[in-house]
Amino acid sequence: MDWFNRPDVATVPEKAPLRVSELSAIIEGLMDNPLLQDILVRGEVTNYTHHARGHRYFSLSEKGGGNTAAVVKCVMWRSDAERLSFIPSEGMEVIVAGTVRAYAPHGAYQLQVKEMRKAGLGEKFLLVEQWKRQLAAEGCFSPERKRCLPTFPARVGVVTSETGAVIHDIRTVIGRRYPLEIIISPTAVQGEQAHRDISSAISRLAGMVDVVIIARGGGSFEDLFPFNHPDVVRAIVTCPVPVVSAIGHEVDVTLSDLAADLRAATPSAAAELVVPDRQVLTACLQELKVRLNGALQDRVAWAWDEISDLRDRLRPQRFLRKLEEKKQNTADLSDRLERAFSNRLGCERLLLAEMKTALDSRNPLAVLARGYCVVEKRGTVVKSADTITKGDRMNIRFYDGSSQVIVEDVEHERNL
Amino acid sequence: MWNMKETYETKIEQLRKIIEKIEDGNTGLDESIKLYEQGAALVKQCEILLSEAELKITTLSRDA
Repeated sequence: MDWFNRPDVATVPEKAPLRVSELSAIIEGLMDNPLLQDILVRGEVTNYTHHARGHRYFSLSEKGGGNTAAVVKCVMWRSDAERLSFIPSEGMEVIVAGTVRAYAPHGAYQLQVKEMRKAGLGEKFLLVEQWKRQLAAEGCFSPERKRCLPTFPARVGVVTSETGAVIHDIRTVIGRRYPLEIIISPTAVQGEQAHRDISSAISRLAGMVDVVIIARGGGSFEDLFPFNHPDVVRAIVTCPVPVVSAIGHEVDVTLSDLAADLRAATPSAAAELVVPDRQVLTACLQELKVRLNGALQDRVAWAWDEISDLRDRLRPQRFLRKLEEKKQNTADLSDRLERAFSNRLGCERLLLAEMKTALDSRNPLAVLARGYCVVEKRGTVVKSADTITKGDRMNIRFYDGSSQVIVEDVEHERNL
Repeated sequence: MWNMKETYETKIEQLRKIIEKIEDGNTGLDESIKLYEQGAALVKQCEILLSEAELKITTLSRDA
């Protein structure tokens, strides 16, 4: 090539060269593409190494026409590798779930593997795991969404196969506990297209029933697989009435079970959960009936008590009797007063007589009546001859009178 | 087909309220007797509802 005679070489504007880190950043940016995030890849394990730190490094390769058609480097960090249920080996056909990342220091990209399953069944397991994450992010399994079952449903919708033991069991239990209207929305319960059938069977019941049972008998993981499908899960979530699930045996938990408002161990158990027991209801009603009668009887008895009390209070005889009682009381009191008074008077009389006798016995005039007399000098009783002298005027008192005398002589009896 | 949710449940609820009112000492005799009559009627209706319940099976068409 004639480098020197290229005519337009000077006219092309020269781009500033990128720095390596800038290019690396652009590549990293491109790797953020959703097509490379949280993906499932199937391939053959090659160059498998179990690093001392617990990380696993390997390649996933695909063979085509005898040659290797493509290889992707993979890493599984220790935290994820610890959950592996088997030891991957060279040539093993696996399905991995992970995200593609660029690793700038090595100038390489790799698939960061979160989970690995053996191909075959593993594919479906991984798919379920992926759906589970996706649906959980949508809030399909959140406990806040769960609704309470109606206490008294009028109609029960059943999404299941028209034939088989499941519908028979549900009919039997509902018929025994509380016979009501069952609306069967028939569906295929396994097979490639079953998920569509199931979800439209659920949707078909909208507005017709108060509660829905989704049931299927036991089966393998693959048999139950349609009940993991997002179409079915979303149909359950958007169902306007509560949904009870009874899918497979108790140990098999499908995504439908996780999304249902309530999970039952068996179809019979689901039937028991959705309808009340008529015998229990009848017993409750009987109890209320007894209580109602008792309440009225009590109320009437109370009213009787009230009336008889009022009647007693209104009766004139009763009032008169009260009056008589009062009168009697007054008479009694008056009697008592009189008796007490006369007793007291007698006592006083007796006392007075005694006192009079005592007084009489001490009356000096009584002595005088026996022949004695009292001599007084200027109002004082003369008791001794020493107190008088010749010429004293004295008064002699007799029992019946007195006399004025003058002393002529006084004789003393000194030998006394 | 009666709607059990709207009839049985409300009837039982009404019945409970009636009993509570009669049991409450503030309700007069006249009113208590009227309430009793209402309560007795509700009991009767509930008994009928329970005894008349019968199993009915409908199968939806899959093409709907």
